[in-house]
Amino acid sequence: MLEPLLDSRLIFVTGKGGVGKSTVTAGLARALARRGRRTLVLETDTFSAMEDLFDYESPGLEPVAINENLHASNLESEECFIATLRRFVPSERIARAVIKNRIARVFFQAAPSVNEVTILDQVRAFFEKRDDRGRTFYDHILVDLPASGHAVTFLNVPETMHGMMRGIGPIATMSRQVADLIADPKTTSIVAVCLPEEMPVNETIELADEIEKTLGRPLDMAIANMVHQPPIDSGDRPVFEQLHRRVRREHPDVESLFFDNDADKEDSTAIARLVEGNALAIGWADRDREYLNLLYDKLSAPIVEVPIMYESSGADIVDEMGKLFLDGPTSRASSSSATA
Amino acid sequence: MTPFAPTKTSADAIRGVLDDGRLIVCVGPGGVGKTTTAAALGLRAAMAGRKTIVLTIDPAKRLANSLGLQSLTNDPQKIDLDEAAVTDTTLEHISAATESKEGGELWAMMLDSEQTFNDLIDQYAPDEKALERGRENNIYRLLSSALHGMQEYMALDKLHDLYTGGYFDLVVLDTPPTKNALEFLETPGRAATFFDERIIKWFLPNRDSGLLSRVFNPGSVVLKLVSAVLGESFVQDLVEFFDTFHYLQEALQQRGEMIEFILRDPQTHFFVITSADPRRMNEAFFFHEKLANLEQKADIFIINRVIPRFSPEDIARLDDAALDAILTEEGVDDGERVRSFRKHLETHYARLAKLAMRDRDAISSLATRVGDDAIRLVPLLGEDVHNLGHLLKLSDFLTPLKALEPST
Repeated sequence: MLEPLLDSRLIFVTGKGGVGKSTVTAGLARALARRGRRTLVLETDTFSAMEDLFDYESPGLEPVAINENLHASNLESEECFIATLRRFVPSERIARAVIKNRIARVFFQAAPSVNEVTILDQVRAFFEKRDDRGRTFYDHILVDLPASGHAVTFLNVPETMHGMMRGIGPIATMSRQVADLIADPKTTSIVAVCLPEEMPVNETIELADEIEKTLGRPLDMAIANMVHQPPIDSGDRPVFEQLHRRVRREHPDVESLFFDNDADKEDSTAIARLVEGNALAIGWADRDREYLNLLYDKLSAPIVEVPIMYESSGADIVDEMGKLFLDGPTSRASSSSATA
Repeated sequence: MTPFAPTKTSADAIRGVLDDGRLIVCVGPGGVGKTTTAAALGLRAAMAGRKTIVLTIDPAKRLANSLGLQSLTNDPQKIDLDEAAVTDTTLEHISAATESKEGGELWAMMLDSEQTFNDLIDQYAPDEKALERGRENNIYRLLSSALHGMQEYMALDKLHDLYTGGYFDLVVLDTPPTKNALEFLETPGRAATFFDERIIKWFLPNRDSGLLSRVFNPGSVVLKLVSAVLGESFVQDLVEFFDTFHYLQEALQQRGEMIEFILRDPQTHFFVITSADPRRMNEAFFFHEKLANLEQKADIFIINRVIPRFSPEDIARLDDAALDAILTEEGVDDGERVRSFRKHLETHYARLAKLAMRDRDAISSLATRVGDDAIRLVPLLGEDVHNLGHLLKLSDFLTPLKALEPST
């Protein structure tokens, strides 16, 4: 499943809140690291999901080694700002003077796009980092993009900044470099994570168009996360439906069996709950398939389906997902599931 | 519908806010149905006889559709409430229309940050010339098209107009799902900080003495540095920008103060909306703590998409032989197939039960921190919200419809 990403040194992962974007990013990082690639996962000054998933604490900028091949950092915007400033001003003393100047701070904090540019500049710094022998330090850098706002707007900030500065000055030059890096499909991939639901699927289709239009490059992969699997084979559906109707006849009040706190939990109603639960699950799987088909229909990028995982901890889900990405089928998943 | 909540108190609390509140601020992580919940709250307030507007942030076409509109715009649009009464047959036992009180109206709008910012400038520009100069400014053009971090502020600015406009009894405000969504509580005039007097003075110390000479004043180390890093033409644009827009500073400051006043009003209520997923719950709790730091409190936690009370013990309670007999009766002939059919159902049910238990644990742990009475659960339903009927059905879980008093 990882093939489309193996040549990308820089991988941006986008997706709306609640779709499991961070867990998928962590799963991809796990898989790449297991293949022996030195992998860095970056978050952008957010509620850190990685600190939970990888059980570490980000000091703010410098990556922490989770294990030999897996490193992580939650890029704090103020730290990035200081780091960027230090790259551009003649002396550290002056950089500190600027940082300590209250008015300058207010100005830079309130100015639009400063955060985005300095964060992306820090990503570029890690991208260019070399080891003692002059080889690139990180084989892959995964950036877990902010959940809110539009990924395209975020990734287009360097281009906009360059234009705003009319191409003059060191920040404009730096912005140009970052923009070129983002636009280059050979080094950089963009991955969109979504759920097989109406809004996320439609947004992903629109996102692919916008990436093409604004950034002049394709979306490289869509990952449909938490896909519900049908509990029974399609051949058994007619029998199940009869069974469901029978349960509804015998227990007309079956919804209350799990909606109500004081519901009767007698053994005699256990069958009704079992059937009702599975009926709900079949409904979810059907609905997911409907939206997945829409995605297959409209998207030319490869699509990877990740089934919903029932592990109880986030760390276990990341492990399971890592295994799936590592060993899963390499081809584009079929649009007609055998069991649907 | 059977009540689905730890206590009935939370339903009463929601009703109370819908009846008497003037502003409901919905905060919480993304992807948990926050916008839909805000719309459901608005619908019920309108049915209770109040002129209500729901201000949403996310361009959710489905929300527009569920309200019977083609799309939402930056201007308030009125929703036809009669539709709610007829579209959903599952609610036949509740005649929404007859239970609605007179005078209630539901309006909806979607924030367009760029348009709001432009309107603000139109409203405060001293003359046509200033307006024109502003529109041509390079920085203004960037500001208005890439309003990163200004969405929260623009939402509040819109809120200011809706709240002080006098028409609406209740505003339901949906906020962006960001960590800094509550920053406006600390500094209500977030945009005003960009137009901070100190910054403007820094660039425009004396408007008569020539701007550029001052900006490139050799005495100013910081400014020299800004020019070196940002480029001189950019700094020139900045000077022009502040020169053109300094009039906004006062307006933004005043509006910021008014918004602060509104947010601290006792008729303003904060609802945290989340799902039961443990990580979303942590984010919800973060909002709770942040509100507490700001001497505010979340009145209600609405937990969406809670998996029904499936229990792993049901597998043990299950009479296998009875189920096998039923499956045989329903036409599964072979004994081996009967057992495999049952196994599939049991395996899948056990997984659902595992998820259900995880949700319950997360909810219990929140309850120990904020109290049962502050929590309201909405079950994960098998369907999306596509019309007002669905929205009404959803609202029944927030505060039961049958509790509506007959119209006067």
